[in-house]
Amino acid sequence: MEFETNSKDKERKKLEEIDPVVEAKNISVWYGEEKALENIGLKVPKNNVTAIIGPSGCGKSTFLRCINRMNDLIEGAKVEGKIVYKDKNLYDPDIDVASLRRKIGMVFQKPNPFPKSVYENIAYGPKIGGMNDKEELDEIVEESLKDAALWDEVKNRLHSPAMDLSGGQQQRLCIARALAVEPDVLLMDEPASALDPIAMSKIEDLIYDLKQDYTVIIVTHNMQQAARVSDYTAFLFMGKLIEHSPTEKLFENPDKKKTEDYITGRFG
Amino acid sequence: MSEGRKSYSESLEEVKKDVLEMASLTEKGICSSVEALENYDEELVQHIYNVEDESNKLNLEVEKECMRLVALQQPVAKDLRFIATMMKISDNFERICDLAEKIGKIAQKKGKKDPLKPLVDTNRMIDIICEMLEIVKEAIEQEDTSDLRGLSDLDDKVDDLFSQIYNELIVFMVKDPKDVDEATDLVFVARYLERSADLVAKIASRLVYMVEGERVQIK
Ligand SMILES: Nc1ncnc2c1ncn2[C@@H]1O[C@H](COP(=O)(O)OP(=O)(O)OP(=O)(O)O)[C@@H](O)[C@H]1O
Ligand SMILES: [Mg+2]
Repeated sequence: MEFETNSKDKERKKLEEIDPVVEAKNISVWYGEEKALENIGLKVPKNNVTAIIGPSGCGKSTFLRCINRMNDLIEGAKVEGKIVYKDKNLYDPDIDVASLRRKIGMVFQKPNPFPKSVYENIAYGPKIGGMNDKEELDEIVEESLKDAALWDEVKNRLHSPAMDLSGGQQQRLCIARALAVEPDVLLMDEPASALDPIAMSKIEDLIYDLKQDYTVIIVTHNMQQAARVSDYTAFLFMGKLIEHSPTEKLFENPDKKKTEDYITGRFG
Repeated sequence: MSEGRKSYSESLEEVKKDVLEMASLTEKGICSSVEALENYDEELVQHIYNVEDESNKLNLEVEKECMRLVALQQPVAKDLRFIATMMKISDNFERICDLAEKIGKIAQKKGKKDPLKPLVDTNRMIDIICEMLEIVKEAIEQEDTSDLRGLSDLDDKVDDLFSQIYNELIVFMVKDPKDVDEATDLVFVARYLERSADLVAKIASRLVYMVEGERVQIK
């Protein structure tokens, strides 16, 4: 038997040494008068998985939505600060939000396939993007489903309704759908919380594999999941970033007492 | 805090109690061993064997409980370091008890006969080891590392005493080959004590890791 040692895991770079693919600078968010996030600064390393943890209501989803400007869709939400991606502030007025959301895709907690066939779910994005060639579309569908570790399970039912898939399959379909438009960054908001352990572990394996080609930011309430899948972990508490460290450091020897109390379940 | 987590904290406390009990057993075992060497007493030797036996059992208990907590509670951060440390140091205590047993066997072999020479330095070794064990016990109890780094000096003293005893006993052996057997036994005793002090220093290093998260070597 051969042992595969992941040298990258052993000598994970310090955050200061990292060249981020996305960087939040002084991000604050208000919903009406309520401040939901306060001055968040966070560097997201490329081809890594970053987990965001923290108690319910601390602003995890809000932060994730800042990254691809989904908060724009929420009435009364106001965002201040910058999200820098490829040397551009995503909140600059000349940003094309639709193409931004293709580069920075999102997968939600509850799988939300369109009420169409498996095939159409995946082909939809590329078609909107102007792709019409049947052969190329077939290829994209197959590739995306393979990347999402779903191909073998659906290759014989590509034209059946997506709604007939199991919950775990639907979630992987949504991941495949997000991958079909060739994103750089994938935002996942509790993508495995509604799944049984087997489906969950498939999603986790998938996330691990995805980082070869993508950068993943995942919100999760499951501390063990964060520890298993992520390279770096950020802990948010009451709208503030408390700690952001390599994952093994955060779970073995966190810098902040608050982090310690939260991850060991000794809160309140 | 949920009920599950409450009993989790209690379980962690239990583990700590067991490990402190291991420390006490160790102290008893190692101190009795040298005493048995000086003033042979069959009962005392039996006591050492019982302590060794108990330490094996308790060490297994500690391991089982720690493994249970790892499996069920997925400990992280300080809890994780605590559990890993308790498992390791419990093992180290158990090994010191093994060494005490070995000294007990040597005492049994010698029986009531007077020792080759007064065991002055050997007793000094044991005094220092007991002092080290006290410091370590206090550190476990309080989860406080402030006195642990001082163990390094104490361990050095034990090492020096070992060299001294060794050289002295070589002289005995050279002078009278009849004494080689008993002198060798006493060298072994000193060696076991020196090893015990090393193990206590290792325990101290692990305790620093547990409390501070830093891996250090106290030796
Ligand atoms: N659409 C909204 N309108 C008004 N307030 C909102 C809205 N979305 C979130 N909030 C508020 O902002 C704060 C942060 O919410 P957010 O959904 O980001 O938290 P979260 O960390 O994702 O929580 P959870 O773990 O429960 O999903 C909360 O106080 C929430 O009530
Ligand atoms: Mg949320």
